[in-house]
Amino acid sequence: MNTATGQVIELQGPRRRPGVRGWLLLAPLLLWLFAFVVAPTAIMLVYSFCERDELGQVVFELSLSSYARVFDATYLKILLSSMKYAAITTVICLVAGYPVAYFIGRAREGVRNRLLMLVMVPFWTSFLIRTYAWMSILKSEGLLNGLLLYLQIISAPLDIMYTPTAVVIGLVYSYLPFMILPIYGSVEKLDNALIEAAFDLGAGPVSAFSHVIVPLTRPGILAGVLLVFIPALGMFAITDLMGGSRVPMIGNVIQNQFGQARDWPFGAALGMTLLLLFSLFFLLGLRKEQEG
Amino acid sequence: MKRISALLILMFLPLVALLGCGKKEGPAPQSTGSGSAPEPKAGGELNLFGWSEYIPQEILDGFTKETGIKVNYETFASNEEMLSKLLAGSTRYDLIQPSEYAIEALVKQKKLQPLDPARIPNLKNIAAAFRNQPHDPELKYTVPWMGTTVGIVVNTEKVKEPVKGYKDVFQPKYKGRIVALNDAREIVSWVMVTMGMNANDVTPENLAKIKPTLAEWIKLVKVFDSDSPKTALLNGDVDIGVIWSGEAALLYQENKNKFQFILPTEGAHKAIDSLAIPENAENKIGAEMFMNYILRPEVSKLISDKFPYTNPNTEARKLLTPEQLANPASYPPLAGMETFHDIGKAAADVDKLVTDLKAAQ
Amino acid sequence: MDVMVELRAVTKRFGSFHAVSEVDLQIKAGEFITLLGPSGCGKTTLLRMISGFETPTSGAVLLDGKDVTHEPPYRRDVNQVFQSYALFPHMTVQENISFGLRMKKVPKQELAERVRAAVAMVSLGGMEERKPSQLSGGQRQRVALARAIVCRPKVLLLDEPLSALDAKLRHAMQVELKQLQKKLGITFVFVTHDQEEALTMSDRIAVINKGRIEQLGDASQIYHRPKTTFVASFIGQANILRATVLSRSGERARVRLDGDIELLVNAEHLAGGAESALISIRPEKIALRKERHGDLENCFEAHVEDELFKGATDQLRLRTDSGLALTAVVANESSVQAALHAGDRVFCHLHPDDIVIVHEE
Repeated sequence: MNTATGQVIELQGPRRRPGVRGWLLLAPLLLWLFAFVVAPTAIMLVYSFCERDELGQVVFELSLSSYARVFDATYLKILLSSMKYAAITTVICLVAGYPVAYFIGRAREGVRNRLLMLVMVPFWTSFLIRTYAWMSILKSEGLLNGLLLYLQIISAPLDIMYTPTAVVIGLVYSYLPFMILPIYGSVEKLDNALIEAAFDLGAGPVSAFSHVIVPLTRPGILAGVLLVFIPALGMFAITDLMGGSRVPMIGNVIQNQFGQARDWPFGAALGMTLLLLFSLFFLLGLRKEQEG
Repeated sequence: MKRISALLILMFLPLVALLGCGKKEGPAPQSTGSGSAPEPKAGGELNLFGWSEYIPQEILDGFTKETGIKVNYETFASNEEMLSKLLAGSTRYDLIQPSEYAIEALVKQKKLQPLDPARIPNLKNIAAAFRNQPHDPELKYTVPWMGTTVGIVVNTEKVKEPVKGYKDVFQPKYKGRIVALNDAREIVSWVMVTMGMNANDVTPENLAKIKPTLAEWIKLVKVFDSDSPKTALLNGDVDIGVIWSGEAALLYQENKNKFQFILPTEGAHKAIDSLAIPENAENKIGAEMFMNYILRPEVSKLISDKFPYTNPNTEARKLLTPEQLANPASYPPLAGMETFHDIGKAAADVDKLVTDLKAAQ
Repeated sequence: MDVMVELRAVTKRFGSFHAVSEVDLQIKAGEFITLLGPSGCGKTTLLRMISGFETPTSGAVLLDGKDVTHEPPYRRDVNQVFQSYALFPHMTVQENISFGLRMKKVPKQELAERVRAAVAMVSLGGMEERKPSQLSGGQRQRVALARAIVCRPKVLLLDEPLSALDAKLRHAMQVELKQLQKKLGITFVFVTHDQEEALTMSDRIAVINKGRIEQLGDASQIYHRPKTTFVASFIGQANILRATVLSRSGERARVRLDGDIELLVNAEHLAGGAESALISIRPEKIALRKERHGDLENCFEAHVEDELFKGATDQLRLRTDSGLALTAVVANESSVQAALHAGDRVFCHLHPDDIVIVHEE
């Protein structure tokens, strides 16, 4: 242990407790968190244990009936199929997004900023407008089919709109930036010397990628996966617009409880269950990350 | 934009509801009692909560110009959304636009104020067919805005066989070519009337009876859409469907040779969307002035020009072109049709059933 | 001796910037060669062309007789110790050191033995399971070294590997590195901007300036016989003076400095027929006496302008009667009588071989 050069370096900086000024600086964030995260969640929690009356108003009467319904086979099945869609979306986003993020992260600074801008340009228009644009591309008499028919690649229009494929296209399109941005963040921080070291030690491009680049960009990958998987699981607008509301996702079911079905307690119970599930996943992931 | 606002509402409603609860306890400043109403005064504001794509802007502008009352127009996409927001109580609306079964529920819960007929002399223009309806037989609480129904639309270029009723639509040969309203109550009612039941007779037994047929029908549908069901037909993604009459009327205007509107022989139901004043309205007089204003024939005609549903105003109909009146989707024979009644908690069973069957595919 | 690395007219341009211009260099097997120069001189680029991270714009790189100009780094039998060490932060010391062998698919048993040997060689026993973040700077340096030598490369490239260490540790590592190189017999190509490091460790030094090799030779040649003003002043200190050439005979030439001082100098680098030249005199080569001593050849008078205490030595600023300024360094005298002080008159004696003709850059 004690070598000639042995100097023990400080592993962690000193932990500081925020002073009064620190709390003041934190106050807006805490207020925001309380008003828009803690309070609504608490209200939902209360609602989820309530009953509904004839008109759909929440009646404050302690009841577990909503939670009993959550574990009905119908909703479990919908949750599973939602997870399947979310998982497919996440995998496609990862496979398509990683190379893009890597390319941007390794580009020269001027080019990098311009490319990042391109990734974010879609956010400048409303999500709905972009979804309708996709509908007009994919529809039976739309741009894609028109082009393929004109080029005589196909003889009858492809049936894409209102199919699971359309839903996945819509989901991937919507969430791709959420995969690219965190991975980009990791790639940008990646020290080029580490990649060179891998090459230097005899690793070809594939080995360098799998042994060095992927492990070192793991935080970005994990963040991207979470940022895509969780919202994709709860999405309802795309399933409605591009899937023809045929395949219900858990998001549609929840939305319905606050609209058409007028059963807020049940909607709240579904929401709370999902929240619990996500928290569990997140904590498991976090623990694994700390161990690894 | 409807969905975005729906999303926002979902996010913020609980908070708003909480604030609303607190507010409700305080004394509500009531502008007038119904008996000793002062003369209507110009100015003030009118908070109108209506359907999206249903009230022409020019009418609002015309009303403001004439009375000096500024109209704040907020929209909803379903009766349920309207009820949710209204009952949450965070915003006070002076005027809402519910359909008959929502009216029924609201009247039952005493959430509407009776109208003062003396201030709405134009009420006389309403056709007899729109009076004596079970939800408000004497038009004590509501002024009919438009009548509408649900019917079958066929793209005659693609579908050559004659289509007469629901059972002609929901056939295996049309699998993947059908659009239906994304409304659990609607599709359940279609099966019920096809099987000879009353559409308002929503009981667990009846739901169990229709389940197998409903399951078959749901499997045949390609698109469920309540917001704009005409889109899938116009885009060529489907060839046949059961949709709102107003949407069908627009398709008919688009191409009257291509799109045909058929009232199902099994029996259709009608909906009457009306104007009503919530119990906690702050500007009841302004609301009644607005009701009277839209009942003027020339104003009512403007609504028909923009949104070709069934106009209940006899005098206004006289101003319409023969072509408008000849649109079969705008003026189907509503007279004998029934309306939906409030089914209370059974709505949750209907929703569960349809969700279940959709998920089972 | 075999040539291990050969650079043939290697040029590297980045845009319009010439990082390396027409460099020819032969490095012998088992040699410790240092590329020495200021930052931005092109020495690192030269190293990266040997490792394969840069491809020459023109010219060729040969490794052990084989042209590897266009081979990627992972197909070259060379390894590099990076300036920042570039240890993989997600791997333990053991995993870092074994990485190269794993990539080469060395059998498990052999791998374990070689790693153990490498760990022992750099005295890192007991640290195998630590992460780089748990090591000191010196320990990281050793891991980087072990990671490279465990692969038994033909050439080990070291890019300023000691620059991040503090002075004491650096000196210890210089000795260790040199010993290690002797023990392993691997060709070392060492890049540094630290002249002292270069003089201590190298068999040969290539002084690089503005993308060219300015002088190549062993430490003594570089120090005692600098060819250019750049080499003379970059390595150690030098008094560079302009002189007029009076005569030349064999290895000696007679020159005159400003102020009529005539000196006999080493004529090795003097171009034939030159009428004037620059001469370089190392400060410590000027012998100072309080009295004139023996031979009058190569002796002139000056006075001490000021003195700078440097510990082991005193640095003196001298000025001749004709106004010429010179720097001299003398051993620090403990006796007060023998020491020189500002204002003292001194006689400067110089050996002709300590006066070297240098060329301008």
